[in-house]
Amino acid sequence: MADLSLAPAAQSVSAARKQGRRWHKATPILFLLPPLLLYAMWVIGPMFYSVWMSFTNADGISRQDFVGLANYRRLFNDDIFWTSFFNNIRWLVAFITIPIVTGLGLALLLNNDLPGTRFFKAGFFSPMVVSSVVIGIVWSWMYQPYGLINEVLAWLGRDGMPIGFLADPDIVTWAIIAAGLWRQVGYVMLLYLAGLNNVDQTLVEASRVDGASTFRSFRDIVLPQLQPITVIIVVISIIDALRSFDLVNIMTRGGPYNQSNVLAQFMYIEAFNNYNMGYGAAIATILALISMVFIFTYLRRMVKTEIDY
Amino acid sequence: MFDAHTRILNARLSRRRAAALGAGAAGLGIAGNPLGFHLHAQERSTINLASNASDPAPRERLAGQIENFNASQDQYTVEINTTAHEDFKQAIRTYLASDSPPDVLTWFAGNRMRFFSNNNLLMPLDDLYTENGWDTTLPEGIRAVSNGDDGSYYFVPTSYYAWAVWYRPSVFEEIGVEPPTTWDEFLAVVDAASDAGKVPITIGTQMPWTAAAWFDYFNMRVNGPEFHISLMDGKEAYNSEDVKNAFGPWRELLDRNAFIPQPEAYAWQDALTPLVQGDAAMYLMGRFLYDSFPDDSQDDLDFFQFPIIDEGVPVGEDAPTDGYFASVNAPNPEGAKALLSYLGSAESQTWNVEQAGDPAVHPDVSLDLYNDATRRSVEMLQEADYIAQFYDRDTHPDLAERGMSAFIEFWNTPDDLDAILDRLDEDRKRVYESDS
Repeated sequence: MADLSLAPAAQSVSAARKQGRRWHKATPILFLLPPLLLYAMWVIGPMFYSVWMSFTNADGISRQDFVGLANYRRLFNDDIFWTSFFNNIRWLVAFITIPIVTGLGLALLLNNDLPGTRFFKAGFFSPMVVSSVVIGIVWSWMYQPYGLINEVLAWLGRDGMPIGFLADPDIVTWAIIAAGLWRQVGYVMLLYLAGLNNVDQTLVEASRVDGASTFRSFRDIVLPQLQPITVIIVVISIIDALRSFDLVNIMTRGGPYNQSNVLAQFMYIEAFNNYNMGYGAAIATILALISMVFIFTYLRRMVKTEIDY
Repeated sequence: MFDAHTRILNARLSRRRAAALGAGAAGLGIAGNPLGFHLHAQERSTINLASNASDPAPRERLAGQIENFNASQDQYTVEINTTAHEDFKQAIRTYLASDSPPDVLTWFAGNRMRFFSNNNLLMPLDDLYTENGWDTTLPEGIRAVSNGDDGSYYFVPTSYYAWAVWYRPSVFEEIGVEPPTTWDEFLAVVDAASDAGKVPITIGTQMPWTAAAWFDYFNMRVNGPEFHISLMDGKEAYNSEDVKNAFGPWRELLDRNAFIPQPEAYAWQDALTPLVQGDAAMYLMGRFLYDSFPDDSQDDLDFFQFPIIDEGVPVGEDAPTDGYFASVNAPNPEGAKALLSYLGSAESQTWNVEQAGDPAVHPDVSLDLYNDATRRSVEMLQEADYIAQFYDRDTHPDLAERGMSAFIEFWNTPDDLDAILDRLDEDRKRVYESDS
């Protein structure tokens, strides 16, 4: 713009240029400032505040005092913490195996141009549209001693006491995970369907021309191309498994005697039911650390293998 | 869903209010005082009442009571905000600690209330007690759960309800038994019910407080109410021989398969179904069970006092007392006191009882208003040596959660009792040491 102006004093041109450049540099920062401030205020700030709270005996009403590591010491000696932790591990294992295998299988099946695939795609995805509160309530009805599942089992010829899906400490966690998987499979399937759209069909055809079997061309041509979406799916699954709360809270509240508890529900009870805000914050901090450990080790491994290529 | 209901209720109230004001305005207009309407409409200030009465029957009773209050005076208008009963327990902290708290709130007497009075969040009501004479007329046991640790009154009790063992007389007749009074008679009823192919005792422990009732009664019947309340206050150890003895009769029932299988699968309302249908013989529950029992079967529903286990031990009963208190920072303190005076009065409690509400605490409410069963339950409470508030109201909320979970664990693995109680006692030490 300065170039177009006729015969201005040389000095003022360079000054204007300098100023223009400075503004030019500052513009993105200025544009970013409002969202960054909001982000710091609503996300970063509370995050650090809750870490700070985990070192206090806050109860939400009285004065809070610094208690050092007392909350963490108590946490590692608390049986409920370990029960919840291992239940979270169960969620994690189930969430990064079953939905990925079945989701990918369904995606491959429904990616063919067969009649009715649209219907099934919509069908498998529909649980994602339903609120998790509704899913929790409907599944607990189905799990009742005289609910749908037990009635079907009886009709199929199963004798004896109905199975207490949500009452038996040995199966209750798996019963809740099953409800979670029902929702997750459709989601993973949809992500894989999107991934399959990006697979280069010419490569697949070329491999078939070269005589590769269907399995071979799937393993060596399609699967590697699906790797980026798989990384995303695994990370999403880790996060979903570790933050599981809604279904547990609605279906059992962690019971019977904490056997189906998970860390998020444990934190909720301690912080908002027992009003141990400091202790609850300590649980939340540990849960965040666990998520980070899983996600970062996985991502680092993925980045390394990508460099190896 | 609940919010929608509240809104409908509020809308209904305000429509009536508008109608009343309109009628008043018309009257004044005829009297030739058009300004009067204006003043009249502005005089009424709002009192906010935060309520946990989210079940349909209690909710309607409260709405009716408030309508009566609004009609009885022309200074205040009450707005009710209802929160689901369980959620209210969590929300109340935020309500009370906020800058503009509700003026009046529903709550529970005893330790649950004292937590807030000790944190200086409640309005002292000593003047209200003297004005209304409650400091002399209310029964001593009720007053003892309405004051704070500093001796001031903070709570206006309005009603209480007894816990008892409920049964259907027709079912007892069918299996040929009478309501038991002693433990041996009770076990005989259990056996008779089993022999008749019925579930002797139904219970739903999806929410574990239902199991806590059994603990309250076993501990009070075996060790006496005095010991029970010191255990609740954290002054006795959970792993003592005394507490272990209290689990003895419980174990006896478990060994006889006296309870419905898989109680964790049911909410307390679900567990009512077998009793209604005559498949189960007995149910230890609070009087609020009436509200959920089908109307056409209520004639065939009765109760008996939890059986006496040791004749030499004073009798304690669970009778949680409900009522109201005011925030110390109530935006409308005068209104709050006016509403509390009304709710604590014999007049408003009589109305509540007439609508089949819980028994009133005010001694001027006539016993003749109650049906036979309720009158017997009030008499049972009046004869008791001690009135407890219920496990999760008598003990520290934090410990209550751990304790109720421990009872369910005992239910599943009765052989591990010693280890369970050792762990619970560690929790007791932690909770009460951090508090002192």
